[in-house]
Amino acid sequence: MTATATATATAVPVRDREPAGLRVRRMSGQVGWAVLAWVVGIAFFLPVLWMVLTAFKPESAAQTWPPKFVFSPTLAQFRLVFSGWGPYVTHSLIATTVSTVLVLALGVPAAYALSVHPVPHWRDGLFFFISTKMLPIVAVIGPLYVIALKTHLLDSIWVLIILYTAMNLPLAIWLIRSFMLEVPKEMLEAAELDGAGRAREMTEVIMPVISPGLVSTALICVIFAWNELFLALNLTTTNAATLPMFLISSVPQEGLYLAHLSAAATVASVPVILVGWIAQRSLVRGLSMGAIK
Amino acid sequence: MTVIEDLAPPPEVEVKPRGISRRERWQLRLPLLPALIYTIVVTQIPFLVTLWYSFQSYFWNTPAPAHFNGVANYKAVFTNPAFRGALVRSVVMTATAVIVAMILGVLLAVLLDRKFLGRSIVRTLIITPFLVMPVAAALVWAGPMLDPQFGLVNWLLQPFGVHHVAWLSTHALGSVILVMIWEWTPFMMLIVLAGLQSQPAETLEAAKVDGAGAFATFRELTFPHLRPYIELGILLGSIYLVNVFDQVKAMTQGGPGTATTNLPYYLYQQVNNAFDIGGAAATGVVTVILTIIVATFALRMFARVFQFEEA
Amino acid sequence: MASVKFVSASRVYAKDAPPAVGALDLDIKDGEFMVLVGPSGSGKTTALRMLAGLEPLDGGRVEIGEKDVTFVPPKDRDIAMVFQNYALYPSKTVAENMGFALKMQHVPKADRERRVREAARLLDLDDQLLDRKPKALSGGQRQRVAMGRAIVREPKVFLMDEPLSNLDAKLRVQTRSQIAELQRRLGITTVYVTHDQVEAMTMGHRVAVLRDGQLQQCDTPRQLYDNPVNQFVAGFIGSPAMNLQTVPITDDGVQLGGTTLPLPAAVSAAARQAGLHELVLGIRPEHLHLADGSGELRGEVLLVEELGADALLHVRLAGSGDPVVARAEGRKPPAQGQPVTFNVQTEDVFAFHPETGARLAG
Repeated sequence: MTATATATATAVPVRDREPAGLRVRRMSGQVGWAVLAWVVGIAFFLPVLWMVLTAFKPESAAQTWPPKFVFSPTLAQFRLVFSGWGPYVTHSLIATTVSTVLVLALGVPAAYALSVHPVPHWRDGLFFFISTKMLPIVAVIGPLYVIALKTHLLDSIWVLIILYTAMNLPLAIWLIRSFMLEVPKEMLEAAELDGAGRAREMTEVIMPVISPGLVSTALICVIFAWNELFLALNLTTTNAATLPMFLISSVPQEGLYLAHLSAAATVASVPVILVGWIAQRSLVRGLSMGAIK
Repeated sequence: MTVIEDLAPPPEVEVKPRGISRRERWQLRLPLLPALIYTIVVTQIPFLVTLWYSFQSYFWNTPAPAHFNGVANYKAVFTNPAFRGALVRSVVMTATAVIVAMILGVLLAVLLDRKFLGRSIVRTLIITPFLVMPVAAALVWAGPMLDPQFGLVNWLLQPFGVHHVAWLSTHALGSVILVMIWEWTPFMMLIVLAGLQSQPAETLEAAKVDGAGAFATFRELTFPHLRPYIELGILLGSIYLVNVFDQVKAMTQGGPGTATTNLPYYLYQQVNNAFDIGGAAATGVVTVILTIIVATFALRMFARVFQFEEA
Repeated sequence: MASVKFVSASRVYAKDAPPAVGALDLDIKDGEFMVLVGPSGSGKTTALRMLAGLEPLDGGRVEIGEKDVTFVPPKDRDIAMVFQNYALYPSKTVAENMGFALKMQHVPKADRERRVREAARLLDLDDQLLDRKPKALSGGQRQRVAMGRAIVREPKVFLMDEPLSNLDAKLRVQTRSQIAELQRRLGITTVYVTHDQVEAMTMGHRVAVLRDGQLQQCDTPRQLYDNPVNQFVAGFIGSPAMNLQTVPITDDGVQLGGTTLPLPAAVSAAARQAGLHELVLGIRPEHLHLADGSGELRGEVLLVEELGADALLHVRLAGSGDPVVARAEGRKPPAQGQPVTFNVQTEDVFAFHPETGARLAG
């Protein structure tokens, strides 16, 4: 017996045979879900939206009741911010980039020594690094101030660079290590058979494979260094004050400058927000120290 | 065919595992050393200095040099209600924020796990609170959002009978915790979402065929699968949140009174307001010891949690 | 126990692309073991998932036990499925895995445990395995747990999606016969998907061959072997595969191996009617009988594969391009490079249309 497709094709498409009740429930379920998700999304985003909106207001429009949604926008607040932020943003940029470069320079070899060709007791090494992350820097801030004073590093950009590097290094090591562990073992063995020494192995096999991972690591370090307030507040005043300090100081004791501070907040946050939006996937990996891929 | 005459047993050869030579050992260690030495110097030296000063009486706004005063600083720490208060407040703030953020995070992750129109946009909107500079966010919440006269929150809550509440005066702790939750829920959501998306689709289909509805599937399969992710989120969140400082400084400066003074802010005050290096050092040492105790449990959990990803 | 019917069932993924499953008509009797076989992309797994309710239909309908189940959710179809990667619940023990569906049906605990134990015994699963989690089991054990999970339910239909593909060769052969035996004993209608034609031939009561979403032929294994309806089925079923070569037609037959092979009358007539100048000739390896120099077809041995009982000769025939494979006695096969001759019986020869692949005068 053979069978061929003698098409006794049902003329009515499947969609229209769907029982009415089922279809209503399915569609309303889908719509309801989407609506709920959008409401939640907007609710979370609302303060950010309000911040950006207020940044474009003249101060008079920011201090109204009820709060204004319609007004004539102005760039005056931004102009104020840009006229004042010069040294602060420069210090932020320097501290962030230099510390991140240092973190990568120290972290890549360290991660290598804890993953591809592990040292004996590599587990202890890993846990030492993460333990430094767990001990609160706040606990040692007093003596840290005294040390900085006595080594003439107080209020210098270098004290921030040194401390930010130490702050981000454990995170970077765990992260880079997780990327190095993903390099296929066969690739490394093939390189070894081809006569590659340690250095060649690193530059020609490992680095190309993990370079996207290094970018994510760098982004995470940048985010944490850029946003850091506590150390900057305690150890710098004028010569090395960073952007977070600028924000704190734009809240004067007298009077309320809602629009001005919104503009400052917006300007300070935009870089990290953009970076985070673009690199969402790396964000999860970075925050979980490489645990979640 | 030849016959093998000599059937003497083969000579005994001692087989020893080949160890790593000294040179090789140093070759392996070398790349690690710069980072290791750097970290030890920068993190341990301040701690040792802190330990040193904790036994001294040293106020840096007076000309008197530091002098040894035994365990007086430690006595002060343990008898000082301000320290105990800060400790309690730290625990309350951290625990509340972590738990609420995790619960919301799970709900949001479930919400975002299903496809719908504009799903990636909604996801981007939800993670934004986490990306805003914490100081910036705190200032925006303190001002344009929660201001008693001009704040958006009061306006939004008007239909619910709320009138010009001075949030940072009457509900200071709650406000700070609210901002912490707002900032960290996206973090919890991302971790749980990664967990949800790592569930093999086949297993969920098998559950469908086996007769499990949506709730049963979540309870029996998804939640056990999520446990390590939830644990990781709570662990990491606690580590980050216990050190929260920016929000307290920007919104309430620890007040009103000491209502929102947590341990980091208390230490900051000791250094900046009381200029008491000795006292701050002792407080710091006690904090570190407490942290070590908690961290030992946490590290063990961390190890377990990392096994599951490497398995 | 129930019959299964696909009535013009279709599944389309992209609007302008050919359907994944195109108007499938298949009638599976109650208690039958039906195998869906075909290369990857043939739509066999999609068809199975449509039956399970895991894929929606874009056309036609699916029936279980004479009832239209097209819109019935999987859990209400009274089916059980064995997935290719087993899909065991990792957080549950073996016993909990097997009893899960019963738990969802609120079967009392005592009954559940009894049925789980019975199914475990049926599948040779040790009692001590019942308390272990899937990750502590071997591949073969996991496969049996997946089967146990399906058996325990006593459903109307078993669905199996390439359940043996992750096992090593020896285990595969062993488990194959166990599954066939089990189905015979339980008598439950089974729809089994595989890409391996040996599994299809040895296990199924009937086999449905699919290609690019279209059903090619549905028949007993014997019929598929002896009476393939087109070139694809002829080449797919049987190992080693049937020799297929395009040959020119002459007045007396076709040209092959330096000689003219006569065609059965019906085939010649069909070829003439279709106005063909060439056709695709199909001869199974065992139908090329090695003759001692007196055979009609001449060729040279390229390669000898000795299998012990048989030998497979790869031969280049005189005057043609691709080598053919012939089956010979294992004891003293010809040597490589040796010239050989073959005889073939006219009724063992298949002919297919060179363009459509349809069998000429089947």
